[in-house]
Amino acid sequence: MRILLFGLLIFTLSSCVDIFDEIILHADGSGTYKYTINMSASKVKINSILALDSVDGKRVPKLPEIKEKIELYRSKLEEKEGISNVKVEANYDDFIFKISCNFDNVTDLQNGILEIVKEESKDKNDPAFDENWLSWDGKTLIRTTPNFQSVIRKLKAEDQEKLKEGKYISVSRFDKTVTKCDNGQAQISPTKTAVLIKSSTYSVATNPSALKNTITVAN
Amino acid sequence: MKIKVLIPITLLGTFSWGQKSEDIIPKDAVTVFSLNNISILQKVSMDELVSYDFMTELQSELFDGSTQGKTLKDAGIDFNQKMNIFYGKNSEFEISGFTFGITDKNKLFDVFDDFDRMESLVPGTEYYNNYFNHLMIQGNVGLLIRVDTDQEKLTEITDSIWVARGFELPWSSEDEYYDEEMDHYDNEIPIDDPAMNEDGDEVEEIIEEDVEETPPAVDEMNDMFKNYYELRDSIESEYSHKRLLLITEEIFVKKQNLKAIDPRLANQLTHTSDGIFYLDNSRNFKNTNSLFYLQAAFPDLYRDLNDLYTGNVVLGDIVLNQKTIDLKIEANYGERLGSIYQELNSAKFDKNVLKYIPKNNTGFFTYQINLKKGYEKAYQVIMPILSDEKDARISANVLTIELLNDFINTDEVFNTYKGSMFGTFNGIKRVKTKRIEFFYDEETFEYGEKEIEAEEDMPIFTLGFTTARPDIPNKILKHMSRITSQFKNMGDYWVYEDAILNSIPLYMINKNGLFIFTNDEDLAKNHSNGYGTESLTGKLVKNAAKSGSIYGYINLGDMINRLPESILNDHRFNVLASMRGKKGEIEVISSKTTRQKTTYNLTYSFDGTFDNAGKYLLDLVNTAYLVSTKR
Repeated sequence: MRILLFGLLIFTLSSCVDIFDEIILHADGSGTYKYTINMSASKVKINSILALDSVDGKRVPKLPEIKEKIELYRSKLEEKEGISNVKVEANYDDFIFKISCNFDNVTDLQNGILEIVKEESKDKNDPAFDENWLSWDGKTLIRTTPNFQSVIRKLKAEDQEKLKEGKYISVSRFDKTVTKCDNGQAQISPTKTAVLIKSSTYSVATNPSALKNTITVAN
Repeated sequence: MKIKVLIPITLLGTFSWGQKSEDIIPKDAVTVFSLNNISILQKVSMDELVSYDFMTELQSELFDGSTQGKTLKDAGIDFNQKMNIFYGKNSEFEISGFTFGITDKNKLFDVFDDFDRMESLVPGTEYYNNYFNHLMIQGNVGLLIRVDTDQEKLTEITDSIWVARGFELPWSSEDEYYDEEMDHYDNEIPIDDPAMNEDGDEVEEIIEEDVEETPPAVDEMNDMFKNYYELRDSIESEYSHKRLLLITEEIFVKKQNLKAIDPRLANQLTHTSDGIFYLDNSRNFKNTNSLFYLQAAFPDLYRDLNDLYTGNVVLGDIVLNQKTIDLKIEANYGERLGSIYQELNSAKFDKNVLKYIPKNNTGFFTYQINLKKGYEKAYQVIMPILSDEKDARISANVLTIELLNDFINTDEVFNTYKGSMFGTFNGIKRVKTKRIEFFYDEETFEYGEKEIEAEEDMPIFTLGFTTARPDIPNKILKHMSRITSQFKNMGDYWVYEDAILNSIPLYMINKNGLFIFTNDEDLAKNHSNGYGTESLTGKLVKNAAKSGSIYGYINLGDMINRLPESILNDHRFNVLASMRGKKGEIEVISSKTTRQKTTYNLTYSFDGTFDNAGKYLLDLVNTAYLVSTKR
């Protein structure tokens, strides 16, 4: 899967990655999704790798190629049904990438992302395409993360170790009050309208249930 | 009648058996390593031998398990003869291999057990083949060789035949080409080693190309026609075979070999050192594909430039001692090129550089040249060659150079940049950088960003240039500081923020007739006038001052094993990896340059004694091979 391989490239280029993901869900099921990747802690390493032709037998893409690829994914996502206002902010000095979009419902968001992954994938029957990461029935949001275990296994032990230093923060926001959530690591904000889970990037990538959470809001 | 037949047979037999391994080195070899004292290789296992890069061209046979647990001694190799490793490339083809003496053919084929006996290519030789590798035996010497047709030439021939037959080239669709390009960074670069799979397991060499998406020449049902890649394979096979036949005839019938046609190699082979090497740079120059246009468009100019490079040969000796390995390298050149080098290398040693080399450095070099004298000599030698050319473009270029030479104050140009320089490697230090950290509000869970200080491991380098006009770099730096706040004048030094890898500052010191770049904050802030009592003293200083144009010193244990891999490309990494684990010191001293040659003496002194001298010798050959082939 190319997008997953692109993910591998991100992990390879930068062993220490902070990720901040946020979903804002309105009562009608529409909302906004934000995904921010911060690789500034590894910018020296990324810059030194980008200066090379290849690392460990893998060709290192040039910066214009990375920019082109990001723009390609942005425009593809923009075209997906139920998704609008796709924005990408890329800071190539500190290697911070912010992606955000609006969605009509969480199914459109998940399908849009899955369709792009599938379009880019050589293996159209990958079981990962059947995974359900998001569902919302008007009262309960069920969240999980894609399985990156196979990608992580390809990393060197030292890079895997570095990945453990990276933070992963996942936030879900609602118009209504949160009544309960089932992930033991989750914190509910004092305003009771947001739920946060803090983990390491390594844990999230290797354990798909690390961020798994069923959040129920008041009627 | 019988006598008439017997005489030539007897003579042929005597001649063949009197033949030495060095008499069958192909004349197209450009690089040759000849190991005289190969008895020291007796302890080297075959598995170790075939793992060297210089053996990779021949490895398909040698990685098949037949070498397991065996040494060279078990392979029927004659240790009283030299082993000669060679490599050559020109615009037509590439050859690689080695020649050796044989004592026991049965033992030899216990190791080379996948070679099949074929019909002899030329009378008086035995021919064995395994895929791309060819083994020729005549008398008691063997030649193991691989011949590959130049890929550019091969593509050119295949394309022309393919298009002449009325077919489109497989990559004629721009979209397909674009997609393939974009896909590259998703896919691993094919592993160079065809005998290993992704997991590092040994596999049979794959000789078939992927033809899945290749457009067929005609209806796929008609198997009388080949697709593009099949046609290419056929042409490659035919060309390589014809070339092999030519080389075999030259060596074994016409007795044309490199030693016979190049007296410099012949003379070098008479040396009693443990090993010798030979690198014909003039043929490297002539065989460069990029000069094809020059050769076609300006044949006279090409000939003159060729003449200039004639005689440009590097010869060397390797001597193994109890605690050192000595390399004596002679860079030879023709009279005219030599006259330029002689002027260029006539600079005096600049003692100021010693102030900036710390005692505790892990490696440094000094390089002194007189760029002004070199420029004047080059102008005198090269301009007449260019002026003779009648072509309008070259004539215009000659006029431009002459006018620039007249109008520009070259004295001041070469006062600013005199040509001499020095460099040091001071190990790895933690340097300060900045990074962005995410934080979130405990009340709202909104996230924010803040810049914080961080530290990174960084190799510390210093590079300095001799200048007699410090005001010129100062003018440039002042200008830079006006247009960007990243350039700052700190009094004793200048700083350029985030200059290295977009993260680390670069410091510039413009004092004592030197313009110095460094990423060493300590040098800039605390030692802008030099290290004082902490600077280099003793034998190394004397050696550097006495040396010709180049002096170099490396503490291997400190430097090679600590240099970060991530700053190296694959080729440099391979060179470095080939030297990993070594301890000791390397010192390079050059002689004064004459019109004929410059001599370099490289001494590699190591801690303790070597358990296996052969392995050290092969390590050195391998490093030299990697450097010379520039893969």
